Amino acid sequence: MSSADFTALLPLIVLSATSVVVMMAIAFHRNHRLTVFLSFAGLALSFWALWPAASVVPLQVTPLLVIDRFSLYYFGLIFAATAAIVLMSYGYLERHDVRREEFYILVLVAALGCCVLVAADHFISFFLGLEILSVTLYALSAYLTEREIALEAGMKYLVLAAASAAFLLFGMALVYASTGTMSFPQIANDLLSGGAAHIWVLAGVAFMVTGFGFKLAVVPFHLWTPDVYQGAPAPVTALIASISKGAMFAVLLRFFYQSGARDLHSTLLIFAIIAISSMLVGNLLALFQSNVKRILAYSSIAHLGYLLVAFEAGGKMGAAAGTFYLTAYVITTLGAFGVITALSSSGRDAEDIEDYRGLFWRRPIIATIFTAMLFSLAGIPLTAGFLGKFYTVAAGANSSLWSMIFVLVVASVIGVFYYLRVVVAIFATENVPSDAERPLPAVHAVGGFTLCALAVVLIWLGVFPHPVLDAIHRAMSGLF
Amino acid sequence: MFHLLWLVPAIPFAGAALLMIFGPRMAHRTAAWIGCCSIGISAVISMLIAWQFLHQPPAGGSYTQHLWTWMSVANFHLGISFYLDALSLIFMLVVTFVSFFIHVYSSEYMRGDEGFSRFFAYMNLFVASMLVLLLGSNLLLLYLGWEGVGVCSYLLIGFWYTDPKNGLAAQKAFITTRVGDTAMAVGLYLLFRQLGTLNIQSLMQAAQHQWPHGSVYATAAGLLLLGGACGKSAQLPLQTWLPDAMAGPTPTSALIHAATMVTAGVYLIARTHVLYSLAPTAQLAVAVVGAATLIAAGFAALVQDDIKRILAYSTVSQIGYMFLGLGVGAWTAAIFHFMTHAFFKALLFLASGMVITSMHHEQNIFKMGGLRKELPLAYWAFVIGGCSLAGLPLVTAGFYSKGLILWGALSSPVGSATLWFFGVIGVLMTSLYTFRLIFITFHGPCHHKPSQKTGWLMGVPVIVLMTLSVVGGFVELPSYLGNHPWFTNFLQSALPATAEGHAPLTELGAEGIVVLAFFLGLGAAWFFFLQRRELSESMAGSGLGRALHRWWYTDWGMDWLYDRLFVRPVGWFSRTNKKDAVDLIYTGTAAVTRSGWSSLRLTETGRVRWYATALVVGTVIFVLIVALL
Amino acid sequence: MFALGLIGLLVRRNLLFILMAIEVMLNASGLAFVSAGARWGQADGQVMFLFILTVAAAEVAVGLALLLRLYHRFHSLDVDAASEMRG
Repeated sequence: MSSADFTALLPLIVLSATSVVVMMAIAFHRNHRLTVFLSFAGLALSFWALWPAASVVPLQVTPLLVIDRFSLYYFGLIFAATAAIVLMSYGYLERHDVRREEFYILVLVAALGCCVLVAADHFISFFLGLEILSVTLYALSAYLTEREIALEAGMKYLVLAAASAAFLLFGMALVYASTGTMSFPQIANDLLSGGAAHIWVLAGVAFMVTGFGFKLAVVPFHLWTPDVYQGAPAPVTALIASISKGAMFAVLLRFFYQSGARDLHSTLLIFAIIAISSMLVGNLLALFQSNVKRILAYSSIAHLGYLLVAFEAGGKMGAAAGTFYLTAYVITTLGAFGVITALSSSGRDAEDIEDYRGLFWRRPIIATIFTAMLFSLAGIPLTAGFLGKFYTVAAGANSSLWSMIFVLVVASVIGVFYYLRVVVAIFATENVPSDAERPLPAVHAVGGFTLCALAVVLIWLGVFPHPVLDAIHRAMSGLF
Repeated sequence: MFHLLWLVPAIPFAGAALLMIFGPRMAHRTAAWIGCCSIGISAVISMLIAWQFLHQPPAGGSYTQHLWTWMSVANFHLGISFYLDALSLIFMLVVTFVSFFIHVYSSEYMRGDEGFSRFFAYMNLFVASMLVLLLGSNLLLLYLGWEGVGVCSYLLIGFWYTDPKNGLAAQKAFITTRVGDTAMAVGLYLLFRQLGTLNIQSLMQAAQHQWPHGSVYATAAGLLLLGGACGKSAQLPLQTWLPDAMAGPTPTSALIHAATMVTAGVYLIARTHVLYSLAPTAQLAVAVVGAATLIAAGFAALVQDDIKRILAYSTVSQIGYMFLGLGVGAWTAAIFHFMTHAFFKALLFLASGMVITSMHHEQNIFKMGGLRKELPLAYWAFVIGGCSLAGLPLVTAGFYSKGLILWGALSSPVGSATLWFFGVIGVLMTSLYTFRLIFITFHGPCHHKPSQKTGWLMGVPVIVLMTLSVVGGFVELPSYLGNHPWFTNFLQSALPATAEGHAPLTELGAEGIVVLAFFLGLGAAWFFFLQRRELSESMAGSGLGRALHRWWYTDWGMDWLYDRLFVRPVGWFSRTNKKDAVDLIYTGTAAVTRSGWSSLRLTETGRVRWYATALVVGTVIFVLIVALL
Repeated sequence: MFALGLIGLLVRRNLLFILMAIEVMLNASGLAFVSAGARWGQADGQVMFLFILTVAAAEVAVGLALLLRLYHRFHSLDVDAASEMRG
């Protein structure tokens, strides 16, 4: 490997080193605050390392990883999101009587898994990244072992994720068996020439869809989502909802664009079915739900459906729209779960909608941030979510996906209903519980600051999106 | 200097954000400093920009500052950009300056109020929204500002929210203006749909090129925008919210409900004047609305007993003059009247605030009286402001601006003697109710001794506005006084000149009749409300007098009429007609979604093996799709 | 073999057997890779198999740890016992 290869891999190297350093630090001196600081510093350093890496890209590092502007954009998103999760977890774990420090190693390793996924253009690195991510997530979901539902969530996630990984592997094996290559761009050569064993490639891709669909939590692979979201500790839910899905979407874009599998009729049909049913099923399931974590879980199903509309639209415009939507979605989910994290007490997470009744009159700033996040999810102007939806619809209209746009609009209208239910509860003036009935923990300064920063970024993206849009358009050079 | 334009709305907005976030924990002093300084800085910047505009006018008479593109897809671009021409410059200057003085005034007026920083936050947000409305170069920003000032108005009317009456007034204002806003939104959509751009200047050019004179589209768009303007500017038939809006703090009434926000309708019509030039019907409608409103509100003002309600009706009536000016094509005259009205009406409201403070929040003029000696500053403010409002010849600003509108109403080809006659009756009414107010409040026997004295923070803004109410008129001298139309010349680059048609009278002769009307009103007020007070009381006490008094007091019974015409029938309709066909669609949709929810919910069994089954079934289906295709 | 593992996953209630069924599925895929590699005469298939083996081991380690915890809590290995969350 040349020095340029190392420079390109620098963000990943720094991140891996950070997890090792944190592990050593815990072995020598167990201190929660130090661990958080080290993790955050490592993530900041990795973020900084993006700039030297940007000077040498695009670069194929070993046959497994490709570092291009697309990878770097998603690296940045993952690092920033992980840093936010680390900061929000501090106050949360302070309230829990568990071994806190190991949590951060797992989070860092999960981020590493996501980065490998994003940079993967080969089946081996794809599988490795996926499993690094999954295995840490099993442990993270069940981290609060004193909670029954956390164990249940961990168990469900493990069984289903492992099964879906098996499907993915089997699909990869089928594709490999008929094409003789595991590298995405080389698959394209075979796929476009339309070899004799075409049907096996298609079947393989269909099997792989299960693996993608499970991690993205889209219909019909979505059933685990609400249970895992509810059972896992709130910061872990934030992780599962944001970077795990983000990285999976990135690899979805890379695989289907580079291998040419996106241009197959059957793939487009399958994803159209998935997108339409996800948008409808997700929003319908959330309608009368009273658990906020489950509402967000169902809404995430719908949002991934919207994202797939951008994927269906295709072309540079679709990929860029999807990436922008995802960025907005990551910020918003982090904010929403961050609020839940900040308000959760040691016994249980603040997940009942009644916990939020009259929140505005008790915690005005947190309530305002939560409202902003919900508005963004609902796609109300001046938030990032609105622009994301706008570009998605524009990309869809550009490719004449009228039926999907129609479903998107109908689903969004249904969506507004349940987001507003939460907002109405936040601003309710009647039956506001007193502190004795539903005690609210004091919001930790670090977590509160992170939430404010997320809210600022949300509005900033909604009003002044150009720097990010430009970065995304440059990043798309990696795909085409 | 022009590149600083974005700072003009940005600084008040930043002030509002600061006050909202840190306000509750801020000392009142700090909050007042932030509130006043942010507006002050933006007023200074506006002045610098105006200075450059006068000395080095930008090419084409307008300057566009493009900040960034908000959304762009293919050939559709929506930018955050500001557009400055002579029209928006005048509005920007008046808004920032009057706001600054009113902010200074409020820092004393609101002292000790527990919502002190909240008040300044809303006021700053209002100024920022108003400036966005004025400077926005596309319909989206215009609409954003339009709704923004509406929300601030709502928040400030209901500022003392503990009294449910104030909340109701706020709601009434919000809902009534909403009726107009809906019409306007439809109108804006019509423009966008037909002309395919959101940029206001391109829209106007496109309208000029694509639509023939008298085009149906132009007429429809003009009438719809007029609907929006009527709502915001409290013109017939949507004027009923403004008198109730006086429930807000007095500086709010001065700033929002007299000087600035309520003139947004005037700005809208002036901004889209091309449409009205293309659609004579719509333009005539503007003139008729204005003339009818100025008369109706004049009569209503005559019989009120609440000092702020009198001023509110007078605002409605004066905006009626501006609409009349716009309607007859005397564009610059209407803008001129907007400027002088902003000065003298803000002055009158601030002075009434002084009276109200020293009378322990008593607003009934019949419980006052003889305050001339006790509150000399307020008295002189009322005299100067009142004279300017009623149009005391030669020395007051109101005389020049109103005279210009009336001359336009008579002489322009669109105008007519009838419209002019209505305007002259309006002058009579104005001077009658204005001097009634002054004589009853400040002359005669003293009922209550005022207690509090007001400080210099309230005094200085009043004195400044007094000066402006006098000298503000000298920027435009009519033909019989040397003919120096500086103001009109300045606006020439943005608005067309008033067309001169055939007039039955000379300008001097027409002006003579107006002056006569003024003195007639003044004399009548002097006779009935100062000399022979009992005469006016016996007139009001007689059968016909009582009926008229009651009719006018309730603003021609408009609220009663609306209650019978809309509120009750709609209430009755919705009560008796709960299960109609339209309702079925809603309940049907709700039932479908609810059943969808409950059946889908059954899939979430919580059992992991069922989840795995779904996974497998999904895969099998997709593989089958692939195999079959 | 993949189908066999799948059936095991769907019909067994015991968590231990479910983990074994998943292992069978993973190994079936691994076998498919090895045979595909043999078809093309490449080492890639075997490399992938090694990775699958390693990852499966990690997965089972975490799975067994979870299994122990669940057994402590529910005194049963029946996965349906842990289905508190639904709806």
